[in-house]
Amino acid sequence: MSWVGRKMSRTQSSLGQLISNYGTILAFLVAIIFFSIATDTFFRLGNLQNIIIQSTALGLCAFGLTLVLIAGEIDFSYGGIIGLVGALLASMLQQGYSPLSATLVCLLVGGASGLLNALLVVGFNLSSFLASVAVFFLCMGAERVYSHGVTVWIQNRTMLSLVQGHIGPVPTPIVLLLGLLFVCWFLQTQTRAGQHVRAIGENIQAAREAGIRTSLVKSLVFVLAGLLFAFAGCLETLRNGGAIMYAGKQLLLFVLAASFLGTATFKAGKANFPGTLVGAFFLITLMNGFTLLGMKFYLIPLAQGLILIASVAISSIRRGEIEQVKF
Amino acid sequence: MSTPNSGQQNDIAIYTRGVSKYFPGVQALKELDFEVRRGEVHALVGENGAGKSTLMKIIVREYLEDEGDVFIDNQNAKGMGIRDVQQLGLSLIHQELNLVPMLTVAHNICLGQEPLTRFRTIDWKRMRDKAKEFLDQISPEINLADRVQDLSIPHQQLVAIARSLTTKPRFLILDEPTARLDQKATENLFSFLANVKNKGLTVIYISHQLEEIYQICDRITVLRDGKKIITAPVNELPQGDLIRRMVGMEITQQVPKEHVPIGEVILSVRDLSPEKKGENINFELKSGEILGIVGSIGAGKSEVAHAIFGSDPKKSGTILISGRELNTRNPVEAVNAGLALIPEERKAQGLVGNESVRKNMTIASLEKRFCAARLWIKQTKEKEAVRESITTLKIATRGTEQEVQFLSGGTQQKVVLGKWLMSDSDIYLFDEPTKGIDVGGKHEIYRLIMELARQGAGIVFISNELPEVLSLCDRILVMYQGRIAKELSATTTNREEILFYVMGGKENEQDTKQSWPTDQ
Repeated sequence: MSWVGRKMSRTQSSLGQLISNYGTILAFLVAIIFFSIATDTFFRLGNLQNIIIQSTALGLCAFGLTLVLIAGEIDFSYGGIIGLVGALLASMLQQGYSPLSATLVCLLVGGASGLLNALLVVGFNLSSFLASVAVFFLCMGAERVYSHGVTVWIQNRTMLSLVQGHIGPVPTPIVLLLGLLFVCWFLQTQTRAGQHVRAIGENIQAAREAGIRTSLVKSLVFVLAGLLFAFAGCLETLRNGGAIMYAGKQLLLFVLAASFLGTATFKAGKANFPGTLVGAFFLITLMNGFTLLGMKFYLIPLAQGLILIASVAISSIRRGEIEQVKF
Repeated sequence: MSTPNSGQQNDIAIYTRGVSKYFPGVQALKELDFEVRRGEVHALVGENGAGKSTLMKIIVREYLEDEGDVFIDNQNAKGMGIRDVQQLGLSLIHQELNLVPMLTVAHNICLGQEPLTRFRTIDWKRMRDKAKEFLDQISPEINLADRVQDLSIPHQQLVAIARSLTTKPRFLILDEPTARLDQKATENLFSFLANVKNKGLTVIYISHQLEEIYQICDRITVLRDGKKIITAPVNELPQGDLIRRMVGMEITQQVPKEHVPIGEVILSVRDLSPEKKGENINFELKSGEILGIVGSIGAGKSEVAHAIFGSDPKKSGTILISGRELNTRNPVEAVNAGLALIPEERKAQGLVGNESVRKNMTIASLEKRFCAARLWIKQTKEKEAVRESITTLKIATRGTEQEVQFLSGGTQQKVVLGKWLMSDSDIYLFDEPTKGIDVGGKHEIYRLIMELARQGAGIVFISNELPEVLSLCDRILVMYQGRIAKELSATTTNREEILFYVMGGKENEQDTKQSWPTDQ
């Protein structure tokens, strides 16, 4: 029986299993050690905090994408939502709206974009790839119409303290990021609905036969992701100190890379929240470390690309195959 | 048979009255009366296309009957949907395994009905307990904490069955459940069935395996061409009789077999054990010969073809092509050695749907025939050859550039054939080439295959349709559970004999063989 052989080889290669599940983390640790030795400035509290703060918007946004990936779909709309939300937030604050109402409007816009995604994918059976790229363009267009390409700075102290302030001794973004990680992880792994998202992504027919309302769950996933994207957009805008045109486009590939790096971490081949966070930290750490090393800015993407390939390669070397996340 | 009076037949669990079902061009069921008693295991047998699956799908309301009535638990099922009959306690376990690979066994069994703690989170412990209760009934040795993706296929099938028990069914329909099971898992299933029968569960059991039908079933209904031939207790229907009734006596449409000179051995398969399924396969194929391979689902026919071709790995064995060993690690070597495989799932394995007829047809022979200096494609020559194929194969397409996804199934199959005909192979492995193709298309394909044989190619013809195998092939290999159970000569055998071996009959038990009439 071939399956017996397969099962045995699995247990025999538990080291391989370990490497394939934790390869990215291994590469991440190697990078940290390398940068700590190579520079005096890397391994300092201030710099480490800086890395985490820089990873916040990226991480939150990647959580949204991870949720959609778990449901077996993809969502690029964050590329537009982040910019649109940023423009809205900055100009509403400038016009004197309260921080709370401005944030709520932003979240509403994010949720509505998610709903549009859901409508296109669940209602009209469009591929989520196409639907979310369309929503991406819509949001980007709306941002352009709304802001006329003008950068609006934020002066509101309360709002800025969200990214610059501390809760006790800990910077607020770190609390936000780890808090949301816990919430996302908990909801996805410990609740019925969260597990049903995974079931839908893995085998939608099985989910349907188990009486799971797949259309409803999928729609909720898109809406929740939209909310997370909007929240990430608010934080990114605050971190930049204002709404810069097309802020989302800068994050586009980083978010994608973080989520997919996450699939090569912890649960080999499957999108998961802790893995995504590691992916986000890893990407920012590389950028930060290379900058401190004094590497020319145009060489950094090159170095990042090589290291990402290497780290995913260790994860998949023993598996012999990279399980692709399907759209 | 007595006609039950509706509403008073408490010993009848499910029955149909005069059910007919039409599909475009074919009447799948003809005024069928079928009844299953409460608490029995009822075997439903028949050849492919006899209407078994259609009948079951009508009972579970996946299809609706065109005429007649279906009664479940004495209620007329008219107007009922899939959910309604599920609520009546009807559960169908089909051949596809609908499980979530990365979730645990326990979670798959409880999927959709996970027990919750008072904080509305999943209660993992209670979930395991609940899953254990159902799994223990059928296969206690499966570990609840294992992920389904790490289980063997037989165990996955048992988990799927355990899963279906969570709805507390009163009527269970099993569609060839043992096709994927190994010996041990089959025993598990049988002791489970014996157990539930005592508890009053009614089981409809579709199977192609004689042995198990006689082992676990109480009564048998034989279908043929959409009609019920007989319903009888197993002990009143001996094996030979059963097979005779499945096959019938009618003369089926036949293609005249063209006898061509048979030449040298061009393919020898020695001690081949495909990794997926199959043990010690040995056979030889001569040029001009058409060798049929038959066997029920899961017997390992396709696996043998794919292992020869190199598209699936093999555990051991040697393949010789015209005396030279073929080291098939991938299909490229096989193609270069003159082999061609026309796969069963033509959409998945044989065609690129959104590409043109031309590109699909020449993809396998581009380098050999249409490339100048191995660099660019000689397009005029390519188009000419494709046009020629379209004419000879009578492919119903608007032209060479038509996308294949818009062609009918039969036409698509012809495009796949055309592709391999262009490759000028010496050995063709056809895997169910006529599956899902109308009669006219089938005849075209028979004609083509015979033409290939006439040109001196050796042909392996895998099929489940016995009439075509009998009329087309020179020799027939019958596979049963991964082994070649019997080799038969097409001129001296008949459908009953083939079916006997297909269903796992043993040579020495074949007491009725002499009495079998030949319908040739």
